[in-house]
Amino acid sequence: MKYLTEFRQASLRDGLVQAISAVARPVRIMEVCGGHTHAICKYGLASLLPPEVRLIHGPGCPVCIVPPGTVAHAVELAQRPGTIVACFGDIMRVPSPRGTLLSLARRDGRVRMVYSAMDALNLARENPGIHVVFLAIGFETTAPSTAVVLRRTRTQAIPNFSVLSAHYLVPPALRALMADPATQVDAFIAPGHVSTIIGLDAYRFLADEKGCPVVATGFEPLDILHAVLMILTQLDRNETAVENQYRRAVRVGGNPAARDAMAEVFTPFDAEWRGLGVIAQSGLAVAQAYAQWDAVALYGAVESNETTDGAGCRCGDVLRGIISPDACGLFAVRCTPDNPCGPCMVSTEGACAAYYRYGLGSRK
Amino acid sequence: MCLAVPAQVLSLDETGHACVDLDGVHHEACVELVPDVRIGDFVIVHAGFAISLIDPQEAEETLELFRQLNRLARAPSTLDQAAEPAL
Repeated sequence: MKYLTEFRQASLRDGLVQAISAVARPVRIMEVCGGHTHAICKYGLASLLPPEVRLIHGPGCPVCIVPPGTVAHAVELAQRPGTIVACFGDIMRVPSPRGTLLSLARRDGRVRMVYSAMDALNLARENPGIHVVFLAIGFETTAPSTAVVLRRTRTQAIPNFSVLSAHYLVPPALRALMADPATQVDAFIAPGHVSTIIGLDAYRFLADEKGCPVVATGFEPLDILHAVLMILTQLDRNETAVENQYRRAVRVGGNPAARDAMAEVFTPFDAEWRGLGVIAQSGLAVAQAYAQWDAVALYGAVESNETTDGAGCRCGDVLRGIISPDACGLFAVRCTPDNPCGPCMVSTEGACAAYYRYGLGSRK
Repeated sequence: MCLAVPAQVLSLDETGHACVDLDGVHHEACVELVPDVRIGDFVIVHAGFAISLIDPQEAEETLELFRQLNRLARAPSTLDQAAEPAL
């Protein structure tokens, strides 16, 4: 697969690994994105690094951070007469006080899995007698596509479609993490695809105010090793900067068209993250100009956010990079992919799911 | 977080959609977020939307850097050469 396979060549690994060893030092590097966490676990990258170079998993799993109350609200909406909820596959298994969307999908088909926000809009077009609510999850990588769909909904005056926005923004979360004394991070592997949208300046505060090197990174193993080398090289030169490893896809200024679409359709607000609490200006609500297609304006906001995580579940600490998944007492004992106690095991991008799937961490 | 993959644009229509080749399989992708896209370009596709153009030259330069590092790693270091007994 062009522009993927070349960046997985094991034959090109040794040079990077040796260069990393030459500048290695004790450092705690957070990879923010769940996609990076999975690539790190899948390719065993941590085992290629000197032990003093530690990779810490961050909150970048768009399913894991969605509060149970939002899922419960979607389950309630799906039970309204004449309503279907459309959503991405991996949010369907997340437990909530009202059960899972998957159980509803199986019971009466009022929940449909879609691959794209556009599919959700097409569902509404094809079923004019039914109101389709799209549960929109994801960070800055995904929010622009929901914005494009809402723009089309408005221009084409499609009445039976609305969005329950559960979009979140990465930079505010990183600012909150760095303000948390429990989170000890020295540098960041920044999410490559979020960076294609927001560019590099959005991370500047981490370098300038917190003294953390930041590298926007691709998702293949050679990309991630390269980013670790770039971080260690900065530290070796006593520099702290925001660098771009994923140059083939990330432009320094990001994607203006995507950001314009987001700015038109959404309004940032102080949103609750599962495991991290409320973070200022970190959620995206549908803007007033699009209230006619905003499920919150139409059907009311999410009420309670009581957690349904199993007793002893430490997903919150995993998301904040305070512990690794295997430090949770439930991991691989009571909490497994078949019987997930918390979101980090449910989501395919969750750190616990990655550890379990690729056999990492100590098993009790 | 954002599983996205590279795909090549095969055709463009006037509604802001493209047919893209993703590892031999043809898909439809919305290209409204990459207004400068042209047929033949490679794009990053996420959840049915092209979100970025791929820069072939940057990709090649990144790979070349990896190859250089590899050559360095495999070249005998000057210390090894100094330690070798003169024949």
